[in-house]
Amino acid sequence: MNKLILCIALSLILFNAGAQNRYFTKDAKINFNSSTPLEDIIAESNQATTIIDVANNEVAFSVLITTFKFRRALMEEHFNENYMESSKPKESRDAADKMKDFSKAKFKGKIISPIDWKSEKQVVADVKGDLTIHGVTKEVTLKAQITPGKNKIAATAEFKIIPQDYNIAIPSAVKGKIAKEVTILIDAVYTPYQQ
Amino acid sequence: MAKIKTFRIILWIFLIGIVVGVSALYYVFNMPRRDVSKEKALYTLDAKQLISDFKKDESAATAKYIDKAIMVKGEIKSIRTLDNHSMVFSLEDEMEGVSCTIDSADVVANASKLAPLTKGSTGTFKGRCSGMLMDIQVINCVPE
Repeated sequence: MNKLILCIALSLILFNAGAQNRYFTKDAKINFNSSTPLEDIIAESNQATTIIDVANNEVAFSVLITTFKFRRALMEEHFNENYMESSKPKESRDAADKMKDFSKAKFKGKIISPIDWKSEKQVVADVKGDLTIHGVTKEVTLKAQITPGKNKIAATAEFKIIPQDYNIAIPSAVKGKIAKEVTILIDAVYTPYQQ
Repeated sequence: MAKIKTFRIILWIFLIGIVVGVSALYYVFNMPRRDVSKEKALYTLDAKQLISDFKKDESAATAKYIDKAIMVKGEIKSIRTLDNHSMVFSLEDEMEGVSCTIDSADVVANASKLAPLTKGSTGTFKGRCSGMLMDIQVINCVPE
């Protein structure tokens, strides 16, 4: 009972303290491109959830893998069943992967460049943090363009990843069709988080 | 003479084989998108039940519901239209409830069913469960 009261008290304090500092969106766009001259492979999700805390410059980002849309249904199927394994049943995964969460990709990090949240000028900032894709976490530093504002914050980022780094196996039969590096583009417009 | 006849038969089998093979490849390559609206829902439940399943054990709930056709019912707490003209209905809670996304084409096709669904009313949606972030996302939804 004491624990419960403590929890409630803590969450109240945290919420009140953090309420005005957080900006949030559930409709961030994220797309990636791994096209080669042989095949256009572009996918987009409009349903990434992301939050920025302007008090401590922390950023979190997450997206569900099955919300990515491709030009062809077949690509979507291969992406989810074979490469990202997001819709692959746990029983048919490798033993080491059974406990991993393949249903989402996540980023959690911090804006390390100085940023004046009161100005409304666009800045290019370095964001450093942990990127988790396909159950594998790597530290990355990304360049983001951030436009602060009182009622909204706009942010975009573009970066590249190598699928092999995240244990994403691409069969040799299609190797020529999928780019070695995948370019990821993020586009988010945050509004104040009110609960 | 008999040799020529066998050769012809083999040639025909070979040709038919190629035609069948190529058309099968063509079909698979351009296969139609999965249409959840025509599927029977594997699970029909209240949004509250779905939320409690995910809150209790996210990993088990993800394994159970991911990519499955489900039908959820709940109170509509918010309605948003995205840049790509798809619509999102949040059930039971705006932040941590069930978010049902209707693709733009289905928004147009189901306009008359969507019209009475306002904030505060009860909505039922059938779609494909994608898992949970803060909210549980159900995509490719159609209103029932």
